[in-house]
Amino acid sequence: MNNTARYEDFKSRSELDSGEAKYPGQAAMWALVMIEAMTFSAYFVVYTIYYKLNPEAFLRSQAELSLGFGVFNTVILLTSSLSIALCVFHSREGNIRTALRYCLLTVAGGLLFSALKIYEWSVEIGKGFTFSSDEFFSYYYFFTGMHLLHVLVGFIALGVVYYQLINPSRRDQEIIESGATFWHMVDFLWVIIFALLYVMR
Amino acid sequence: MNISTQSRLLFFWGVLTAITLIAWWIGTHHSDTSLHPEAAVGLSAMAITLIKVRVIIREFMDVRNAPSKLKYITDAWLVIFIICISIAYFAI
Repeated sequence: MNNTARYEDFKSRSELDSGEAKYPGQAAMWALVMIEAMTFSAYFVVYTIYYKLNPEAFLRSQAELSLGFGVFNTVILLTSSLSIALCVFHSREGNIRTALRYCLLTVAGGLLFSALKIYEWSVEIGKGFTFSSDEFFSYYYFFTGMHLLHVLVGFIALGVVYYQLINPSRRDQEIIESGATFWHMVDFLWVIIFALLYVMR
Repeated sequence: MNISTQSRLLFFWGVLTAITLIAWWIGTHHSDTSLHPEAAVGLSAMAITLIKVRVIIREFMDVRNAPSKLKYITDAWLVIFIICISIAYFAI
């Protein structure tokens, strides 16, 4: 509570002096991001342990994934992350029309990512690799499924950003930055999942 | 200053994308299909990944301009994460 009070105090001071360091978005969003980051870290460490316990089986199944899908999806999410960062920048500068365009471009990136992910799943299922095929594929479907769930929640965050941008009376830069922060988290979690599932040996 | 913020974002997007594509190129030319863990590949992949994550946090999430408390917390997470992954990788 003391921290909250200090944060509020900090915020009002930073509004007076724009040169002062400021939290991007709401402090609560950063708490969520760090909790998510630590939860996923625990999954990733457990994955590494199981991989090292049985590397041959994991690597044999890993070879069934298409690295191209992973790379393409990574580039899509990195680009959508750039796009929402540009949206925040233009919103801060008052270029609302440009900000809206970048927000929609980010949504398009997320949709493309989701479509490609579902197609990739259908390819793997078509080859006979399902959730219960082996340990590697259990982790593969669990990680990518959990991540896609976060992409879907990310669409809600982007919807909030869009709603904030189109309502001049409602526009709150802090909420816009919070939505963007969530989307960047979706991006960096995927970057780690990509490395673990597709690249790590 | 405004143009430099945009070019800075674009520059780091270019860096992140280039790293990803180089990893792809190495992956497709790495014809070793042996089914053994390779610490050099495994850990350099993780190290490069965490550099990418740090660039996303610092540049895209604008932690670069945030209070130092947030910089320390995010960096502490990355350090603890790479230590835990390394222990899991080497201890087993």
